[in-house]
Amino acid sequence: MSTSKKSVGKMLVNWAAVLVLVLSIIVFTLIKGTAFFSWSNLITVLRSMSTVTIFALAATVSMAPDGFDMSAGTLGTFCAYVFASFFLWFGMPLWLCIVLTIVFAMVMYLLTMFLILVCKVPDMLATCALQFVHTGLGLAYTGGGSISAGLKAASWAGIFKGGDLAPASGWSPASKMLGTDPWVIIIMLICVAICFILLERTKYGRYLYAMGGNKTAAKLSGINVKKMRFMAGMFAALFIAVGGIVVCSKNQAAQVNGSDGYLMSSLAAVFIGRSIGGREKYNAIGTAIGALLITVLENGMTMSGVVYYILPAVKGAVLCLALVAAYATSKDD
Amino acid sequence: MEKITLGTKDVSIEFPGVKALSNIDFEVSTGVIHALMGANGAGKSTLMKVLAGANPTYTGQVYYNGQPVELRHPLDAKKLGIQIVYQEVDMALAPNLTVAENVMFNDIVMNMKGKLFMNYARVRKEAREVLKQLNVDIDVRRICSTLSLAQKQMVLIARAIQNECNFLILDEPTAPLSDSETDELFRVVRHLRETHNMAIIFITHRIHEVLRICDSYTVMRGGMIVDTTPITEKTTSKEIVDKMLGRSFEENFPKEICDIGDKAFVVENLTERNGKVKNINMYVRKGEIVGIAGLVGGGKTELCKTLFGAYRASSGKITYNGNELKIKTPADAVKNRIALVPEERRKEGVLVAETVNFNLAAASLNRFCKLSFVNERATAKNAKHFVDELQIATPSIRQKVAFLSGGNQQKVAVGKWLAADSDVYIFDEPTKGVDVGAKQEIFRLINQIAKDGNCVIYATCENSELLSITDRMYVMFDGKITAELETKNTNEAEIMRYSTGEVQEAFA
Repeated sequence: MSTSKKSVGKMLVNWAAVLVLVLSIIVFTLIKGTAFFSWSNLITVLRSMSTVTIFALAATVSMAPDGFDMSAGTLGTFCAYVFASFFLWFGMPLWLCIVLTIVFAMVMYLLTMFLILVCKVPDMLATCALQFVHTGLGLAYTGGGSISAGLKAASWAGIFKGGDLAPASGWSPASKMLGTDPWVIIIMLICVAICFILLERTKYGRYLYAMGGNKTAAKLSGINVKKMRFMAGMFAALFIAVGGIVVCSKNQAAQVNGSDGYLMSSLAAVFIGRSIGGREKYNAIGTAIGALLITVLENGMTMSGVVYYILPAVKGAVLCLALVAAYATSKDD
Repeated sequence: MEKITLGTKDVSIEFPGVKALSNIDFEVSTGVIHALMGANGAGKSTLMKVLAGANPTYTGQVYYNGQPVELRHPLDAKKLGIQIVYQEVDMALAPNLTVAENVMFNDIVMNMKGKLFMNYARVRKEAREVLKQLNVDIDVRRICSTLSLAQKQMVLIARAIQNECNFLILDEPTAPLSDSETDELFRVVRHLRETHNMAIIFITHRIHEVLRICDSYTVMRGGMIVDTTPITEKTTSKEIVDKMLGRSFEENFPKEICDIGDKAFVVENLTERNGKVKNINMYVRKGEIVGIAGLVGGGKTELCKTLFGAYRASSGKITYNGNELKIKTPADAVKNRIALVPEERRKEGVLVAETVNFNLAAASLNRFCKLSFVNERATAKNAKHFVDELQIATPSIRQKVAFLSGGNQQKVAVGKWLAADSDVYIFDEPTKGVDVGAKQEIFRLINQIAKDGNCVIYATCENSELLSITDRMYVMFDGKITAELETKNTNEAEIMRYSTGEVQEAFA
């Protein structure tokens, strides 16, 4: 009797996030009817969850091997500056801007990996410190402001352009498309698929999860733990670059601190996703569901007339519940 | 000077399934340095913990100067002036505080009731006085983490005598010390006996130290006291070793005869970067099981980890079939088909949060991959094969390893290397914490591995196991190999003599 009670309780905890998701959909549908439960609102939800999801995937690959990244938001902002400057100031083709931004993110991530793997600074502290570095260097790069069509380029850019600081033609239709549906949703789905395949289907995913479970045992099984952490970092950099580009395209400008705010939401999504189905592992699908849950709550509450400034509290409460579900049941040493 | 005695009558302790101490009658009096000896698991530390109030579940009676006393909490012992310095000095020190604060720690914690502000001048002054009593020169302003191990020990001894202290218990204090540091410790210990009339109880494995410094000794074996006698000029180390042994091996395991091939795995002059093992020369033939004997702290685990690349070697050469192996990390070792089944099974050997399937493929995943994609069907087949072959008791290959018994976890830890098809298998205390039945199965498994023509290295402090399963063994003491013994020509007493450093003849 007690064991069956226990297993029912455990099942409830494991599927709590999905349960909350379904419940909130039902409640919002009851309140707002077809305004909420409609194809067009589904697209709205998917579109607004896409940026959070992409940043959350970066956090997922970092956290799978027991790493962490507090600087994903600020690096995303920096990536947006770089992307916008290449496109607007230097008039490079869109594909080249994307590739160069991804390369840039990976190069910046070398610094993160240097601090973590060579200097052995704990992930959390190293990336906390790097937040300032990203913010400061990013603003130095832009000349202290945002980058958008119609604004002057930073003075250093003039050296490469023969003193001409006027921005180039502005955003092209293709570049604007990246941040609108259906493209932004497709990009998100591709990122989820990449992350899913990496973690669930390849040997690298196994190595990362082994490290997340017990780094010493993983090392003594012959896994090259530093190489694997580095690889996870490079994937995180990829997702951060994509996230920065998408945010930039959505805003049609690389705004100051443009992606910084996505960090906390993305971490919430990752923690919610961890417990889904009793996986107890940071995983791509769980993360996506976590992001969906947060977005549905935001979307439905906004629609129901809840004032926007209270929404962070709701998000925080959901994160707290997810964390309680993950840790309250764990045994004390 | 007035003598105080501390004694136990009929003291026993039972842990689930084991009787750790049975009916101990033990007595020491002040003004004496008393040695407590015995093999691993004899019950020395358990008994001392009773006297220190750290084992509140004992039955029987403790007497202080003839009066019955209850020692159910460390504070009870401290009030009677019984102080203990544990082997793990770092557990008891606050590394980020100064020497003065650490010496006066009990005072700061216990005697500050109603006070708010620290009087650092007083703390430093009193700490300096205590260290002076010991005749030890350490700057009290230094941060403890910058001290050497020997100095940390002195700080803890100073802390012990800063309180009222009649009985000072030192749990294997000399194990990590160099010779000169040991001399310094002995000087302090003698000084405490002469000037403070203390009793010092000294747990140690090193017999020559006992003969040098102690006035009397007690030998324990299997939770019982074998003998307590004063040390005279006639006391020999041989009689102490004989008392430590005694028992013959009940759970004998018949050694299967394997064809022993050529020298395959050869180690020359191997030294670990931090000196954890020094100047190791050894070889293993194909089909041979070579034991690594030695007491806890002798360097067996360190040797295993250095061979496997988990500790970095600073010099030396490892060859297999004449080819030199470059091993800097465990990943290199696995590439060179070396396997380690580590001592700390749950922390190092298996991934407890993962399934049996996952674990059995963890060391050989490349074999189950195409273009880096894991072939789940192949890993499942692999897992089923080894679950059957090793008779791992598990409801399914999808069971998390955390839910298996100790013996079955160990089989998974071995199975993962069988899947990797290694050539050299290193076992570090593989029978630790498994029951007798599982032990037999693990022995059979190791025998089979040797029979298949692999090299096996078997490290354990259970000498009886070495005698039953190995062909040959190396004995370690203090990070060095002190002897190479043919199993059929040796016995427990001889192994014990080499592992206690009693015989330290240079081994070439």
